[in-house]
Amino acid sequence: MPVDKKQIIEKEKVVVDGIELTAEWNRMFEQRVVFDYDTTTLDKVTNVAEAESMGWCYQCGQCIPVCPVDNVGEYGPRKIFRNLQLGMDLFASDDLWQCTTCMNCLRVCPKEVNMIKIMPAIREQAVLEGNVPEELQKAFTNTFEYGNPLGESQKKRADWVQGAGVPVPIMKDIKRPVDVLWFVESYPAYHIRGKQASAALAKIFNKLGVDFGILGVEEKDTCDSQRLAGEMGLFEEFAEYNIKTLKKYKFRQLLVTDPHALNAFKKEYPKRGGEFDVIHYTTFLAPLLEKLNLTNSLNYKITFHDPCYLGRHNGEYEAPRKIINSLPGVELIEMGRCREQSYCCGGGGGGMWLDGFMSDHVSERLSENRVREAVKTGANVLAVCCPYEVSRFEDAVKSTGNEGKLMVKDIAELIVEAMGN
Amino acid sequence: MASDNILVIGGGPTGMEAARGIASLGYKVTLVEKRPRLGGTPDASQYAALTPDLRSAEEAIGEMVDAVTNKPNVNLMLDTTVVGSSGSVGNFKVKAIQSGKEITIDAGAVIVCTGFTHFDPGRETQKYGYYEHDDVITLVDAEKMLKAGNFVRPSNGEKPKRVCFIQCVGSRDRQIGNEYCSKVCCGISSKQAIEIRQVVPDCKVFIFYIDMRMYGYWENEIYWPAQEKYKVNYVKGIATEIVKKGDQLIVKGEDTTLRRPMEVPMDIVILAVGMEPSEGTKKVADIFGLKKNKYGFIETTGGPLNTVSTEVPGVFAAGASTGPSDLEDCVSSAGAAAMKAIASLRAAVPA
Repeated sequence: MPVDKKQIIEKEKVVVDGIELTAEWNRMFEQRVVFDYDTTTLDKVTNVAEAESMGWCYQCGQCIPVCPVDNVGEYGPRKIFRNLQLGMDLFASDDLWQCTTCMNCLRVCPKEVNMIKIMPAIREQAVLEGNVPEELQKAFTNTFEYGNPLGESQKKRADWVQGAGVPVPIMKDIKRPVDVLWFVESYPAYHIRGKQASAALAKIFNKLGVDFGILGVEEKDTCDSQRLAGEMGLFEEFAEYNIKTLKKYKFRQLLVTDPHALNAFKKEYPKRGGEFDVIHYTTFLAPLLEKLNLTNSLNYKITFHDPCYLGRHNGEYEAPRKIINSLPGVELIEMGRCREQSYCCGGGGGGMWLDGFMSDHVSERLSENRVREAVKTGANVLAVCCPYEVSRFEDAVKSTGNEGKLMVKDIAELIVEAMGN
Repeated sequence: MASDNILVIGGGPTGMEAARGIASLGYKVTLVEKRPRLGGTPDASQYAALTPDLRSAEEAIGEMVDAVTNKPNVNLMLDTTVVGSSGSVGNFKVKAIQSGKEITIDAGAVIVCTGFTHFDPGRETQKYGYYEHDDVITLVDAEKMLKAGNFVRPSNGEKPKRVCFIQCVGSRDRQIGNEYCSKVCCGISSKQAIEIRQVVPDCKVFIFYIDMRMYGYWENEIYWPAQEKYKVNYVKGIATEIVKKGDQLIVKGEDTTLRRPMEVPMDIVILAVGMEPSEGTKKVADIFGLKKNKYGFIETTGGPLNTVSTEVPGVFAAGASTGPSDLEDCVSSAGAAAMKAIASLRAAVPA
């Protein structure tokens, strides 16, 4: 009878009574018979505030086909419950770090088992116990020390402005109220491709005559992904700092590039006294496009990736599409998994800083899976509007051998191209 | 001569509700019960709390008893067993033995409410060792203990640390001859699981099931609280057999979603026994010439549109005499039977 390889346990070294066994004895089959249902950890998990719903799963399995991780690996919310029932210690399991908090499971879960609350709550315990994957810890440490997960100098947070080619007012220099305060966030401020998208957005603002300003070196990471990855302490500290800093200035609207920042400002900062009228840049720009007089025909077939934290988490599906459809010479081809059903790029919930860790658990990266889907549509541009995605998808285009077939462009970059100057 | 009396046979919830309904509409009713008291199986088997609302069975059944005791139009005959019948719609002569004496009851129509009996887990197979192991009990045994507020291992009187339910015992089984689902056991097991967690909070409770059949509101009123609030563990796959190891029971089955055998120790195993027709149901069916289905329940004629008429004009059947029923079914069909019996009486006895 064929044996599933996963049922074979192979130890490098097996020592019994002080004698090391020869290699052939190092292979053993997994224990077949279930001798106990040790629900100690299940009870421990469901006793953690916000993680109660982990115990509500009735194994319908609807989460499995929509879980982006289970599409390329073996992790899935239903399985977490089942494994807990069978005695798994989630606090020490690799399963704890695989969820990207994309919310696709919650969308379909009839029992409302809420991984968006469960994962941060349990991860927080693991973080307090110092039980965190190394590369994620590095991102936490970077954020703590430098104010951003990339580990770049806080002093250089506004350096991208130099290359923007247009004026980008900085609040502490201009010393006046602005209409729109643009919270740039870390990746758009530091990452090479993020900076290009930021420069594009600055150009659009200048063309539209938007009265805007940025915090510059006063800005720190919103830490929403760090929170979802379990670093609650860090999040609290940074939230307090950002709220205090923003409150120094007068502005009508808070604009964000990053959907993760949008999520923080919409759902988490208000609980801590930071109530701002926050808007994503695509939502802001969609009604203003006519004013830009876009005339440069792009001749692109574009497919669009819905960011989890813009779409499922915060309900914006139309604005990015409205912008893309307004670009001259462009055809929008939807991927099968779009809007509410969109696939995750793998970057959320700490996934941005767990690619090495995840490589042991998945057959391909989530971003690679998504890029293959994008290529299949026949599109030559993958449009994005979340700063995690440009780098993730550009890497995936290379690793899947699709270089030259698919370009990854931020929606702001596409608008600037259509502006034609 | 036509009779304006309706005979209700069986003093359980169905019979009591039928009698109450008939009397409240101003018609005469004779309610016969072979036991010396009313209440039927919930009383005889000492049910603790009703499903799904966990209301005290004693209190709820007590209310039903009061509604038919010393009431105008209700002729209550306890300790009375029906033994024969002649005549037809409008004019039945029903023979009964009341406290050892034979009597005749005149009735224009008859409602059979003779109910069910709990499946005897030792009847066909002994794979769960009900008569072998003290700590293997049924829902009925557990209900008695829960009513007494003392849920312990029968073998040693100690509080259990691990209890499991095995679903579908005596139901959905071709070998046993009961292919039907007994309808209420999933709910009752879940209800008892909640009660056990209330009485013995540090006891782990497992329910091994094939499908959880929590129809309608039982889903959210029993199943979900059992899992979400009382942390009852539901595991798909019922046990095959029970073996004893030391003083513990080893429940052997398949963990079906894991696709592996399981052998887990338990202190008490509760068999979720289903429903079979009571002896009374089978006898009364024969007395009135009512058709029985292959399981011995009385066959009604109207499918889903008429759940109480039988092939014999003027004779109706309600509640668990017609098949597995919960209390809601019993009370609802009792009302339907009362209405139809009155209608048949009015047709036979023109006003």
